[in-house]
Amino acid sequence: MTYALIPYPRSGDRRLSLDVFARATGTHPDLVRRLVALGVVDAERDRAGQLWFSTDEVAALARVQRLRAGFALNYAAVGLVTDLLDRIAALQAAQRGSPPGG
Amino acid sequence: MDSSSDKDFYRLLGVARDASQDDIQRAYRKLARQYHPDVNADPAAEERFKDVSEAYDVLSDPQTRRRYDAFGPDFRQVPPDVDPDAFRRGRATAGAAAGSGRAGGGGFSFPQGDIDIEELFGGLFGGRAGRGWGPIRGADQEAELPVTVEEAYSGGRRSVALSADDGRRSFDVDVPAGVTDGQRIRLAGQGGRGSDGAPSGDLYLIVRIMPHPSYRVQGRDIYTELRLAPWEAALGTSVPIDTPGGEAKVKVPAGTSSGRRLRLRGRGLPHRRGNAGDLFAETRIMVPDKPTGAERELFEQLAAASSFDPRRQR
Repeated sequence: MTYALIPYPRSGDRRLSLDVFARATGTHPDLVRRLVALGVVDAERDRAGQLWFSTDEVAALARVQRLRAGFALNYAAVGLVTDLLDRIAALQAAQRGSPPGG
Repeated sequence: MDSSSDKDFYRLLGVARDASQDDIQRAYRKLARQYHPDVNADPAAEERFKDVSEAYDVLSDPQTRRRYDAFGPDFRQVPPDVDPDAFRRGRATAGAAAGSGRAGGGGFSFPQGDIDIEELFGGLFGGRAGRGWGPIRGADQEAELPVTVEEAYSGGRRSVALSADDGRRSFDVDVPAGVTDGQRIRLAGQGGRGSDGAPSGDLYLIVRIMPHPSYRVQGRDIYTELRLAPWEAALGTSVPIDTPGGEAKVKVPAGTSSGRRLRLRGRGLPHRRGNAGDLFAETRIMVPDKPTGAERELFEQLAAASSFDPRRQR
């Protein structure tokens, strides 16, 4: 198979509703709401109080699930671990001389 | 699916066969932290993590461990009513496979059914701690894509080989002209595998421009050394130099000293949506190692006639 190498555009232009997001990640909307309340998954709340999710958060939630499954972490610990992993990724990207995703 | 049949779970965890449950747990936790696909983006890490998790799943449960010890890697194909201790005793009296502690000799044949380990374990994360979650998307992975300066300049097809679950995976990728060091390139759906039919993660290739004997790349700009004779530097000249895009002429103005950067606009790495980088020829004045008699004489004349003091000038 041949792949054309295309620089990866920053996503986030498409927003997902709570239900679509829950279906995309295979989680129950109640659990998603809890994860948002715990700050593990980022979401925006519109004026009607509805939650909206960036498409990036689908991968973010999958990572939360994998980390929880792999290390039996609670949500507070998962939040800390993901923050640290993101910080390391940013440092490594800076060391490479390119912003993440850029 | 015979991926696990040749794996020694004790060796995978790096513990002795008589290790305590505590040792097994400690070994597993350390390896899991090292190879978890979200901690280690190397595509080879996922396979390693899966092996280690499977080994731990088997060895952390004393019952399964006893069966693994008695029947060996194919223990799952032994009917559950075969007692490991009775089997061991029977084998010892038959004198087969003495002392190895593993099955494989002994005149006991296991039905070779197709048992899908993935099914038994519910995929990578479906086991032990994964209960309660549905399908989980695979992790993103990262791998380096080494590229020569020439390839970065003109682009071209490259084959990339990565170690993966089933040996090696290789991709043909079209490298676009003008990639820069550190650029991330996404191959959608080519990352870690998802569990229970969830989609795979993405694979990111990180462009690494390899060192070149005559070019130094910074962003899109390329630096190269331009060696000059003292008279060329003093009087000015025009010299051909190699660039990744072919030969180019550099005009060296009269009165050029070492370390001056002569810019060839747009001769650096191209840019698909913008200005190409520049190529900088950095001058370096060289003198003959062993001047001929005539050269020496001329330099002496020059030294006598000149009032130039390079150390006073700034």
